[in-house]
Amino acid sequence: MPSLSYSTASRIAARELRASRGKFVFVVISVAIGVAALTGVRGFSSSFRAMLLLRARSIMAADLSARTTQQLTPQEQAGIDNLVATGGDETQITELLSMASSITSLDPLLVAVKAVDPAKYPFYGQVVLSPVMPVTQALTSTTVAVGDDLLLRLHLKVGDSIKLGNRAYRIVATVVDEPDRLSGSFAAGPRVLLSQAALADSGLLAEGSHAARRYLFRLSATKQGNASSDNAVATLKSELETLLPEAQIADYREASPALTKGLDGATGLLSLMSLVALVLGAVGVAMAMRAHLQQRLDSIAIMKSLGAGSGQIMKIYLLQTLLLGFGGGLLGVVLGIGVQLAFPLFLAKLLHITPDFRIDLHAFAIGLGAGMLTTLLFTLPPLLDIRGVRPILILRRAVEVSDDPFTTRLVRKLQGSAVQLGAIAIILVGLAFLAAAVSDSRQVGGFFAAGLVVVLLVLLTASWLTLSLLRVFLRKTRLHLPSVVRHGLSNLYRPGNPSAALLAALGLGVMQIVAVYIAQRAVVQEMQVSTSANLPNIFLIDIASDEVEGVRTLLMHQPGIRGNPEILPVVSSRLLSIDGVPASQLKLEHLPRRMLQSINLTWPPTADAPPPGDDIVEGKWWTAQQSADSATHPLVAIEREEAARLRVHPGQQMTFAAQDAQFTATVAAIYEPDSRHTFSRAGFVVPQPVLAGLPVVWYGGVHCDFSATALLQRSLYEHYPTVTVINVAATLETVRQVILQITYIIQFLAAFSIFAGIVILASSIAGTRYRRIREVVVLKTLGATRPRIAAIFSIEFAVLGLVAGLVGLVFANILARLILLHALHFEYHFQLWLNLGAWFITALLTVAAGWLASYRILGQKPLEVLREE
Amino acid sequence: MIAVESLRKSLRTGSTNVEILKGIDFTIHKGEFAAIMGASGSGKSTLLGLLAGLDNPTSGNVHLNGTAISYLPEDKLAKLRGRTIGFVFQSYQLIPTLTAFENVLLPYELNDESGDRKAGLERARQLLVSVGLESRLDHYPVQLSGGEQQRVALARAFILRPPIVLADEPTGNLDTSNGKHVLELLLQLNHSEGTTLVLVTHDPALAAHATRVITLSDGLVVADQQQTAQL
Repeated sequence: MPSLSYSTASRIAARELRASRGKFVFVVISVAIGVAALTGVRGFSSSFRAMLLLRARSIMAADLSARTTQQLTPQEQAGIDNLVATGGDETQITELLSMASSITSLDPLLVAVKAVDPAKYPFYGQVVLSPVMPVTQALTSTTVAVGDDLLLRLHLKVGDSIKLGNRAYRIVATVVDEPDRLSGSFAAGPRVLLSQAALADSGLLAEGSHAARRYLFRLSATKQGNASSDNAVATLKSELETLLPEAQIADYREASPALTKGLDGATGLLSLMSLVALVLGAVGVAMAMRAHLQQRLDSIAIMKSLGAGSGQIMKIYLLQTLLLGFGGGLLGVVLGIGVQLAFPLFLAKLLHITPDFRIDLHAFAIGLGAGMLTTLLFTLPPLLDIRGVRPILILRRAVEVSDDPFTTRLVRKLQGSAVQLGAIAIILVGLAFLAAAVSDSRQVGGFFAAGLVVVLLVLLTASWLTLSLLRVFLRKTRLHLPSVVRHGLSNLYRPGNPSAALLAALGLGVMQIVAVYIAQRAVVQEMQVSTSANLPNIFLIDIASDEVEGVRTLLMHQPGIRGNPEILPVVSSRLLSIDGVPASQLKLEHLPRRMLQSINLTWPPTADAPPPGDDIVEGKWWTAQQSADSATHPLVAIEREEAARLRVHPGQQMTFAAQDAQFTATVAAIYEPDSRHTFSRAGFVVPQPVLAGLPVVWYGGVHCDFSATALLQRSLYEHYPTVTVINVAATLETVRQVILQITYIIQFLAAFSIFAGIVILASSIAGTRYRRIREVVVLKTLGATRPRIAAIFSIEFAVLGLVAGLVGLVFANILARLILLHALHFEYHFQLWLNLGAWFITALLTVAAGWLASYRILGQKPLEVLREE
Repeated sequence: MIAVESLRKSLRTGSTNVEILKGIDFTIHKGEFAAIMGASGSGKSTLLGLLAGLDNPTSGNVHLNGTAISYLPEDKLAKLRGRTIGFVFQSYQLIPTLTAFENVLLPYELNDESGDRKAGLERARQLLVSVGLESRLDHYPVQLSGGEQQRVALARAFILRPPIVLADEPTGNLDTSNGKHVLELLLQLNHSEGTTLVLVTHDPALAAHATRVITLSDGLVVADQQQTAQL
């Protein structure tokens, strides 16, 4: 057979496109919405995520930090230089306690000195000074910036000078916020921020000084200007751990666990949403192309009767498909750009975020590719069906009914569909490939791709089963049913009506939309808890025992205080040995041995329960009886990370010394602290009787509204001048704002995905409308009114919606549960009302979409259609 | 009675305006069997559509038993059509999702106001028996041959005992013997039910069975003759 040239094939394809523009516009729009959802969500989420990653790093002011009390050896310094030489940067922060005084009064005050390199610090985030000025300008070799509590205590103002070590420095500003306030040391005394050069001049760094050093690291930025990847951070972390075995190495993720968890949740969810957009887009494309090819059956039959081979016809429709996919994809990308441009405007107004948005070419390439690929993938089976179209169709549009037994028919069908089955396998592999490309979270992508195969199979089976059951029901009840109901149900079996496919598509759509909704709701709810107003943001250090009640009373009566202040006792001690091995010989994991000399012990507020917020991860907490007996049989509970550093587990014996007393305690439990509670600041908990008679200082924590913190500080200083106040309100406010922004974005993008999903599903339903036109016309000719026809269709759509909704919801809950528990590590709870509501809404929207799609054909004049015969 | 006055219909296709009917007047009396003839494109199917209110004329009007129908609201027209007119189409136009029996019953279910469902069921059965399909009641259209489908359509057209039956090339899709059978059934039913029958055809042999032949050419009535019907 002579082959059809590509130019002829494309001419025929183009002619057909021109001839029924309306129908093709519909296909193109379906593809475009899918691609737009994908590019919009993906492009935006990648920009947003990049911004969030930068914000998360600002809590540490770096990608990584290494804390040590010793000066680096030349080898260590060389190693670090070597590490950063390949790209990236490093800066040193020196922190120490010192005495400062006004040059006029000379009354000394204990201050927390922090020296930085103004040219480099901070790598991320911003030091906020008042008056506003850059760090490089504020911190010269003769100037400092100080906490405003220092000005208060020393009766100074900006412009005055303080004496530090053997030098006087002019105060040029007060420190409003340092990005790494949470990850720095919580030393007693007001902040004095100065340059390394100024500190060097002060003479405070004399041999044997107790200065702590923090080395901040920044990895080189990636090509697109994004923050470096977590993998790169992890690699550098392990390299640093090898290089500096005594140092405590932490990455930015550890600086604010709440923020990191929010970020991980957001990343997972955004991946999920991108995937959902992808599959929903594919569903839209598949349904549109299926309907389109069904419409072309006549043309195909005519061409075949004129001697065209299946291959030649497939060439024509393949070209047409590609053209439609490309057109739709391109339009979708343009829409996607629109979405990406519109999001920031919206966000700037609503959230006051002005992230650096850029056109993400990668997202667009994926969008266009996905549009073309899914169009092609999903049109493969109907394209292959062309081989089965017989020319007789032009003479008689009838389906042959075989009287063979079911199994024979099934075997024949499977044999005939071998190529189709192969095509379906290709589709699934293709989708898995796309899912991997789209998903930033490999785990979510994995769940998704694997789940999709299972879900599609189950959905198709469930759809087929439900339709079969309904058919049996219909056969049994047939004429006993009201005619509207009978007719509506019969429509599900309209020849060529893709009821099973539509059910599967709808079910899949419902599954994904509801899964996104459940997952985002769970993440947002949990994140909102972590931004609750009771998070302590003011810490009090060195409260004497006789001041505790007074401080508590003062705090409770102070304006702007939220929740109850938590005040915990601390007894300073030293660790002497573990299981008889002296401290000097212990194998430690990244814990400077010097730290064993200053271990803070506390006791819980309730004798037989862990302090508020602490969760036991290993071992068992002591009973009231064990607590009462603890003076003779001491017990200790250790914070998880401390336990890991010391390599201890429940049952081991630890010997502590406090003042002159010594006791050996059995490790009873390992616990995970909750950073929202002040108790998370103490790493070792023992029953109260163990510490009876030892000198105790008290630490406090309370949440105070940001605007009232200055007043609180003044008030505390007035009544309890020896109590140091550490104000992290500004930093915590930053964390809270970022988390809030994450929750808004998640909700916003989820709403967008859900909306796009609904539009795509609605258009899939609408795609079946061409099948109805003839039916509407005949019914009208026979005297049916529009309400009657609408009622018939409503029943058909309601059944579709209810069945698809039920199947979809079951899988939505399974998917959401898997993703929440295993990929995102958030909690999952089944919500009955939410599910019932979603079920009802699905049915309602299906009917509404069917209605909207049929509205125009209901008004069509019968003759217009009959004339086309 | 069907009265047509100054009926015009034009269609806009792209930028050109095609005048299909250019002003047609005639009256068909009760019980008459009129054939509308004409070459392809003469406007006969359009005329039939306008007679049934399936489309609006550009100007002029159609009266069915004294009611001007051309500008009635859609749903009112549907009801009127259901009760007044029975249809037989060239391509049968059965609802594929309903059985033969249900297809025949459909107009009854759509339009009957007596509430006597039993009577409807009986009438549908009886009509299907009369067209020789008593063994095919539960078959779907796809399970029937063309001739059988058209016989179902005939039974459907008569179920409500409409005063008027409009048939558009009812045998056009059938072979000679099936066509003949269907025509016989149509005439038989028309005779026994006493309906006014309007048949559109380009086949003179078919028109020969009518008592009156209205010939259209280029959108105008060029001949309107009474004749003795061939039996």
